[in-house]
Amino acid sequence: MKAQLMPHRHHTRAANLPDNLSALWFLLPIIIVFGVLTLIPLIQTFFYSLTDYDGYSPNLNFIGLQNYVTIFQDPSLLQALGFTLLYAVSTTLIITMLAIPLAITLNSAMWGRGFARSLFFFLGVPSQAIIGLVWKFIFSPLDTGVLNKFLAGIGLPSVQWLAQDNTAKMCVIIVAVWMQVGWHATLYLAYLQIIPADLYEQSMVDGANGMERFMHITLPQLVPGIAVSMFLLMTGGLKIYDLPYTLTSGGPGTSTNTITQAIILRGIAQSKYGLGSALATLFTIACILVIVLQMKATNSLEKRFA
Amino acid sequence: MNRSQRFLLGKAARTVIVLALALLCALPLWYVLINSFKSSIDMITNPMGLPKHWVFSNFGDAFSDGTMLRSFANTIILTVAGVFLQVLIGSMAAFGIVYKRSTFTKIVGGVLMVAFSIPLQATLLPQFKMAAAVGLVNSLLGLVVLYTGSSVFCYFLIVGYMSSLPSELFEAAKIDGAGAGRIYVRIVLPLIKPILTTVVVFQTMSTWNDFLLPSVFLSSTDKQTVVLQVYNAVQKFSTNWPLFMTITVITLIPVFIFFFFCQKWIVSGLVAGSVKG
Repeated sequence: MKAQLMPHRHHTRAANLPDNLSALWFLLPIIIVFGVLTLIPLIQTFFYSLTDYDGYSPNLNFIGLQNYVTIFQDPSLLQALGFTLLYAVSTTLIITMLAIPLAITLNSAMWGRGFARSLFFFLGVPSQAIIGLVWKFIFSPLDTGVLNKFLAGIGLPSVQWLAQDNTAKMCVIIVAVWMQVGWHATLYLAYLQIIPADLYEQSMVDGANGMERFMHITLPQLVPGIAVSMFLLMTGGLKIYDLPYTLTSGGPGTSTNTITQAIILRGIAQSKYGLGSALATLFTIACILVIVLQMKATNSLEKRFA
Repeated sequence: MNRSQRFLLGKAARTVIVLALALLCALPLWYVLINSFKSSIDMITNPMGLPKHWVFSNFGDAFSDGTMLRSFANTIILTVAGVFLQVLIGSMAAFGIVYKRSTFTKIVGGVLMVAFSIPLQATLLPQFKMAAAVGLVNSLLGLVVLYTGSSVFCYFLIVGYMSSLPSELFEAAKIDGAGAGRIYVRIVLPLIKPILTTVVVFQTMSTWNDFLLPSVFLSSTDKQTVVLQVYNAVQKFSTNWPLFMTITVITLIPVFIFFFFCQKWIVSGLVAGSVKG
């Protein structure tokens, strides 16, 4: 197939029509998918959030913003909101602070580098749900729980890891960090590898030490990578469901409930469809807000460092 | 100490620290693997060490109730059908946008951008109601339909790559008398193979690993996925921990093999997704 430059032709509306029609045919499937799976459900979610709909009975009443008021008065929902935020923010910060040094180390000369890179990366590959279940056994309060066995071995009292609010929250976050840090280090590695080597050579000539090189070259050059990684962590963190659900089932009590779990529980299991829809609406607004804010922050940061 | 000695020392120190850390992080995987070869009592008394007596019967037992193979078959069906449709719809849409730019394609592109930022949670409850209305709850077909929602993500990964193809390519093919369908199948798809591979690998992983949709939409054992199989095994074998570990190992083996052969593309998907994400 010869790709030749064609002389510029004069396009008329009539000549464009077949091409536009073909484009439409190719776009049709995704338009249908968007309409059926996103647009219509989204409108329904918003509509039902203003009603007392229970999910199946035909009579429903408009109750205005009552569902939204209920959300902010229901302690278990506030707990779900609080834990989801705690999870999203703390995993974003901790993983970022660990993944950058890990990536820099994995980018330096060492033996077994490929093995180490693959191993850290692999931890993020299996299903979060399966990983959550495995760690549930590790944290088990029974004698068979390997972590408590280890504590006993070094003469420490056992800990009810998943039976107390704060330790349960901590455990979920630790497992999330363990799982994702290699994944994000891999992302940073990709960004580290495109930093021009002559930047470092120049700084060597200038006599900069390791810390100075990190602060003045590596970190600024990593800004786009940091923006991307934190964006993925933050949006992924807000949507978290699998890991806490399988590790702690949202407990003890409702201390590690997530928004997603609350939406499913209210909307499907408890027939509080209107309330579940209101939660989903608020959640969507929050997600879009985070995305917009993060894009703005990224743009201004990139302008500053570019 | 001269420069090369210092370099070697640093390299050795890094190697020791990183490998120690890597092995520490790998302990949970070791825990799962090694206990799948133990008896319950052996696992209780000696959770991290090698088995006193190697037990291989767990692997037979894991398959004994017949649900394991069924789960694998279900997951394979869901993943193959789901990913195929996602990539087909996503790449078609990308082609539609790139093929002939107009006000219409601009609007569709903008709408898809917004669609991309709407979380699944926003649409989950109505999707459940719709699926129930047409009898697609507890149905693999219903789940495949829901998985086509990810075609928007595929579209984003593909459209960036497709835009870098020279537009003269389309013009020349049109002069030669090729229609849009022919250009898409014969010219564009072969040229975008790298991004297609990346998207297929990435989506295969996320569909295979999905827990949210199967746990909400699938209820019966004969429809369950591999992830649900492990989830249900916790209750089912609450006193037989080694059997749970064995089931986990069996489900992680294909994931590991997949990772081993596709690591390169998972990374490229991660990077490509991050550029667009």
